[in-house]
Amino acid sequence: MRISTSAIYDAGIAAMQEQTEKLMRVQQQIASGRRILTPADDPVAAARVLEVSQSQALNQQYGTNSATAGDSLALEESVLGSISGLLQDVRDVVVGAGNPTLNKSDRAILASALRGRYQELLGLANSTDGGGRYLFSGYQGGMRPFSESAPGVVAYAGDQGQRLIQVSPSRQIAVSDAGADVFQRIPNGNGSFATQAAATNGGAGVIDAGTIVDPAKWNAAANNKDFTIKFSVSGGVTTYDIVDNVAGTSLLTGLAPGAAPYARAYASGSDIDLSQAGPPAFDYGARVSISGAPADGDGFAIKASTNQDVFKTIDDLVQLLQNASGGAALTNGLASVQRNLDNAMENVLTVRTSTGARLKELDSVKNAGDDRALQYRQTVSSLQDLDYAKAASELAQQQMNLEAAQKSFVKVAGLSLFNYL
Amino acid sequence: MGNSIFGIGISGMNAAQAGLVTTGHNISNASTPGFTRQEVVQVSNIPQFSGIGFLGQGVAVSTVRRIYSDALSNQLTLAQTQGSQLDAYYAQIKQLDTLLGDPSAGLAPALQDFFSGVADVAAHPESVPSRQALLSSANALSARFQDLDQQISEMSAGIGTQITSSIASINRYAEQIAGLNQSILAAESVTALQPANDLRDQRDALVAALNREVRASVVKESNGAYDVFVGNGQPVVVGSTAFALVPTRSLEDPQRVEVGYRNGASSALLAPASLQGGALGGLLSFRSASLDAVQNALGRVAMGVAQTFNDQHLLGQDLDGALGKAFFTIAGPAVLPSSANAGSAAVTAVLQNVNALTTSDYRLQYNGAAGGNENFTLTRISDGFTFPTVTFPTAGGYPYNLNVDGITLTLSAGAALNDSWLIEPTRLGAGSLGVALTDPGAIAAASPIRAGAALANSGGATISAGSVSSVADLPLPATVTLTFDAAAGQFAVSGAVPAAGPFAYTAGSTISFNGISFAISGTPADGDVFTLERNTNGVADNRNALALGALQVANTLGQNALIAGSQPTTSFQGAYSQLVSQIGNTTRQMEVTASAQANVIAQTKQAQQSVSGVNLDEEAANLLRYQQAYQASGKMMQIASTLFQTVLDLGR
Repeated sequence: MRISTSAIYDAGIAAMQEQTEKLMRVQQQIASGRRILTPADDPVAAARVLEVSQSQALNQQYGTNSATAGDSLALEESVLGSISGLLQDVRDVVVGAGNPTLNKSDRAILASALRGRYQELLGLANSTDGGGRYLFSGYQGGMRPFSESAPGVVAYAGDQGQRLIQVSPSRQIAVSDAGADVFQRIPNGNGSFATQAAATNGGAGVIDAGTIVDPAKWNAAANNKDFTIKFSVSGGVTTYDIVDNVAGTSLLTGLAPGAAPYARAYASGSDIDLSQAGPPAFDYGARVSISGAPADGDGFAIKASTNQDVFKTIDDLVQLLQNASGGAALTNGLASVQRNLDNAMENVLTVRTSTGARLKELDSVKNAGDDRALQYRQTVSSLQDLDYAKAASELAQQQMNLEAAQKSFVKVAGLSLFNYL
Repeated sequence: MGNSIFGIGISGMNAAQAGLVTTGHNISNASTPGFTRQEVVQVSNIPQFSGIGFLGQGVAVSTVRRIYSDALSNQLTLAQTQGSQLDAYYAQIKQLDTLLGDPSAGLAPALQDFFSGVADVAAHPESVPSRQALLSSANALSARFQDLDQQISEMSAGIGTQITSSIASINRYAEQIAGLNQSILAAESVTALQPANDLRDQRDALVAALNREVRASVVKESNGAYDVFVGNGQPVVVGSTAFALVPTRSLEDPQRVEVGYRNGASSALLAPASLQGGALGGLLSFRSASLDAVQNALGRVAMGVAQTFNDQHLLGQDLDGALGKAFFTIAGPAVLPSSANAGSAAVTAVLQNVNALTTSDYRLQYNGAAGGNENFTLTRISDGFTFPTVTFPTAGGYPYNLNVDGITLTLSAGAALNDSWLIEPTRLGAGSLGVALTDPGAIAAASPIRAGAALANSGGATISAGSVSSVADLPLPATVTLTFDAAAGQFAVSGAVPAAGPFAYTAGSTISFNGISFAISGTPADGDVFTLERNTNGVADNRNALALGALQVANTLGQNALIAGSQPTTSFQGAYSQLVSQIGNTTRQMEVTASAQANVIAQTKQAQQSVSGVNLDEEAANLLRYQQAYQASGKMMQIASTLFQTVLDLGR
């Protein structure tokens, strides 16, 4: 075949250009460390890299969120810890105050010390985070949640919102707890009902917290959950009646409360069941126990539990220590306060446990996030990063190819018949 | 006798001289583009009869011809016109490829930063610095969209300029070809049908150059003139007359340069699809197949972000306790009526469902009325899909609302037959994305309602935080109270405006009214009270911010409006990745095809050059040959002279 002289040059130049281009490309890959310089180099991998990099960014965001959530929860946890400690101290006071060697002025000293603890608790309930946001005000971060209008009367200005933070693709974790749930939603008594000695009692009868024997019966719609146990002492015999305050009838007779002596005889420390085989038959599934010697006309109330905030409970204690002059009134009062304090402590502990559980969960979420980050990094790397060993050998090969093309071109182009004319 | 020897010698010298001239011409033009090598065609002269037979009369040069193959040249021209189309396409799409795929300058980082900002606000809803950072990253996102759109618009404007200059080149080539047609005709008529080789080379070179701009077909006339046609047979050269192409504005979009054909005083638009091959063909097909699609796809992501984010933002409550306002501003779908429309009908388009938007443009055409019904056809341009004919009664049918792929078209009366409209649902999206909010406090991170259980409740039931799906009845005019009636097993509702309930209670099931949804679970006791109230002072509430953040990974785009119950298939990032992958694929395909085409061109050129190209070694040999022929003829004349001297010497 004829070869035209310009074709020799054209082909030579084209070959060298192609080799130079390939060399340039490998050089660029090495310089940038990336296998994919533009999406055209590997469109599928390039699109995948974009998607994985979004997952990477998200994962990083979840990491930041977890840290934020961790900070918030740790702060709340430590405040709750302080509150638990404070309540424990108050409980120790309750136990100590029952000591019969204390006189009234000793108790007054205890009461004034408790006043301080009360204010301290109020301060803890109004704790703020580093940014000045109240911890226990729900959604209203700028609103001071607890304020005292009168001793023992503390109003909650927050709401019941819980702030959530997204810590993984599928998990939003709560990083706050509403103050109402920590300090206010605390049932008094034994959780179902509260027992209380009447203020006018003159005897030495002491009532316990009582127990629920059958929750279904206690919760039955027919139960009015408001009873008074009335005592009568006549002729050395102590008898009692159980009055349904709502219906205004005696449970034991089914009639309007009659005159003493009452239907049941009293024995100190024995169970008083809110049930009777009849007639009339009734069963409210509850039982209390009264010990000591009640005086004639003494009464003990049994009422359904209501929520009582911890401030009221401590204030009750303060009032009791200031005013009670000892005896059964003090014993009954301290027992009631202690039950309510225990309930409050248990409530705080429950919230604190849940906080701890969330912190623990954050740890495992964080570990999973770290694992994912590593996996994403590997994926992106395998998609777009350069295999340097391969690239280096390719560079050497391309360099050799280009040199060969140059040398051979010089040889071929140098051949001409005119050299011999 | 001497006379004839002289004559033969002279004829040989003349022929050798012609050979040397031609060889010299070949050598000097060895690297002239379009030059085909020439050779002298020698024939022996008519012999003279004598008694001893025919005596030769030497040599004559009958013609100088160029070594030219029509078939190979045509092949080369065709290969080159395809090659330059691919090159032009590749050169353009390469820019898009780099633009979109750049890991630091593409859309992806801006999108991620924006949603990081949202997450930060969710973590610190009351923090003004966090909110300010979100506004800044929203502005950065909008700037990135606008910047990408701007670069695409600039490319589009650049293509307009290139089309104009390509048209100028085509016109220049056409004039030159027409001029050469005339010169060749003139030259060849004077020289009695001897071919004007170099003029013909020039003309062939011009045809090849014209083909590098646009595919042009050549018809040879009997007198040797070339007639040249482009597009669907529009002549640009007929004999010695050239006809001009003119840059023309698109019927719908005055900014857009199309190719027109001048026909007397008026000019007609040439369909872009008919102009294949060459740089012009490459530019036109790039613009319609890739550039528009990219701008639309970016616009769709922008509209998706703006619309879904706005929708959720409107359901929230800002730092001052007011309901959320639109976060982003964005332009709606564009309707461009053809400037050729004779009727007065107006067509408008609004966004109806952002999930179902496509990246295509649409063309609506009025087909006239028949049997009391108006008929329109709607075509989706990207895939050529024609929707079922839109028919509605002429009487009372207007204004007619037509829902298609996420937009609602409103047709008004007054269209004339064949009036048409170009609908660009997402073209303006990326360029028009702006941030409406300037006050960090106006970011609606909170939800406008909050739920609570009364402290006095004796049951164990709890109420969920509550969510909002419509703010038509918000903010709540009064606190809504739900009171449980154990006997009836239902919640009585008071304070709801408009009034709602009562709702039968099933533990854990969702209760919804007036755009509010919540769930109560557990066992409520009779008389237990739950409340829904305005989220006054709810500055630490981040429920709406969480919902906004969830949009990042939610599938919000790509719903198929033609299939009932179809769900969105991709997220913002997914839609963008799809775009990058699509452009990457096309670029890759163009790169491979263009490089394959370059090989085809190289091989065809080699084949053509093997016939028509100059080989200097060959010419060097020819130089020697003609030099020796010249010397030999000279020698003959010397001999003739000697012979003649012999005769003269006889008389001495």
